[in-house]
Amino acid sequence: MKALKGLAALSAVLLAGSAYAASPNASMSSVLDGLKKEAGVGAFSAEEGRKLYNAKRAHSQKKEERSCTTCHTANPAGPGRTTAGKVIEPISPAASPERFTDPKKVEKWFKRNCEWVLERECTAKEKGDFITYMMSLK
Amino acid sequence: MRFRKKITGTLAVILAFGFFAGGAANADDDARERSKTRKSPSFLKTPESALYKEECSSCHFLYQPWLLPSRSWQVIMDGSQKHFGENLALDAQTAEELLAYLKANSSEKTRARWAEKITASSEGLTPKRIMDVPWIKKEHREVGANVFKRPSIGSASNCAACHTKGAEGNFEEDFVKVPR
Repeated sequence: MKALKGLAALSAVLLAGSAYAASPNASMSSVLDGLKKEAGVGAFSAEEGRKLYNAKRAHSQKKEERSCTTCHTANPAGPGRTTAGKVIEPISPAASPERFTDPKKVEKWFKRNCEWVLERECTAKEKGDFITYMMSLK
Repeated sequence: MRFRKKITGTLAVILAFGFFAGGAANADDDARERSKTRKSPSFLKTPESALYKEECSSCHFLYQPWLLPSRSWQVIMDGSQKHFGENLALDAQTAEELLAYLKANSSEKTRARWAEKITASSEGLTPKRIMDVPWIKKEHREVGANVFKRPSIGSASNCAACHTKGAEGNFEEDFVKVPR
């Protein structure tokens, strides 16, 4: 049974790999599984993740429009730029392979950046959709 | 012949000194600096901290800790949940280690001319940003607000946009190149 599961995971990885999109490593897969349980959903939606990535929102105090794209730009495969002027690596794991590989980092940046854009933490569903969208990028 | 050699040698020394001291603001300053801190260099490269780099330079220029006095770092780290409007989401241990590094290498702890100027000009103040250090502000007085806002620069937080050797702690005017 265990071997079968492993085989299924392996073929999933291979299939995803053949489409040139990134696929979650073992630790990120278990993060996604945990988020699914927490969100109570069977699967995440890359489309919802795409919407979240592009959604613009007016900050309640700063009187400015904020979104993920403020820093990461509308093109996830291109370099971004922080509000402090620093150029950052593309957020898309297809362009920056180290993205979305370290659960601790992913969690920290969700906390920082969800608060910056949405003025609250992201839900498990939002995080899962977002990661799924990022992983689907080619 | 021997006399001539000596003169050339002295001249070379004077010229070399003039060259090194040339970057400072004005002759008065220079003279005072020379008599007081002849031996200290204008800047030092702070020993690197992997943690500082990881936690702070993801978003901004990795400011040399000697650009601010200890009490400024204390206030900045105390406010890490509202760091220029952003929650840095640092765990307690990380925050503690960062503060220890910043304080150990602050302006007061760095034996270099610029650090000493920063300490002296911040006396009685707790600058919350580097541009609030009076001496640093003064050094940028000729840079217009519109220059900082250029898309190629973004804001005054982006030291490396113009200070081409800023990452090494070298803010010498000779290495400043303001992008269009």
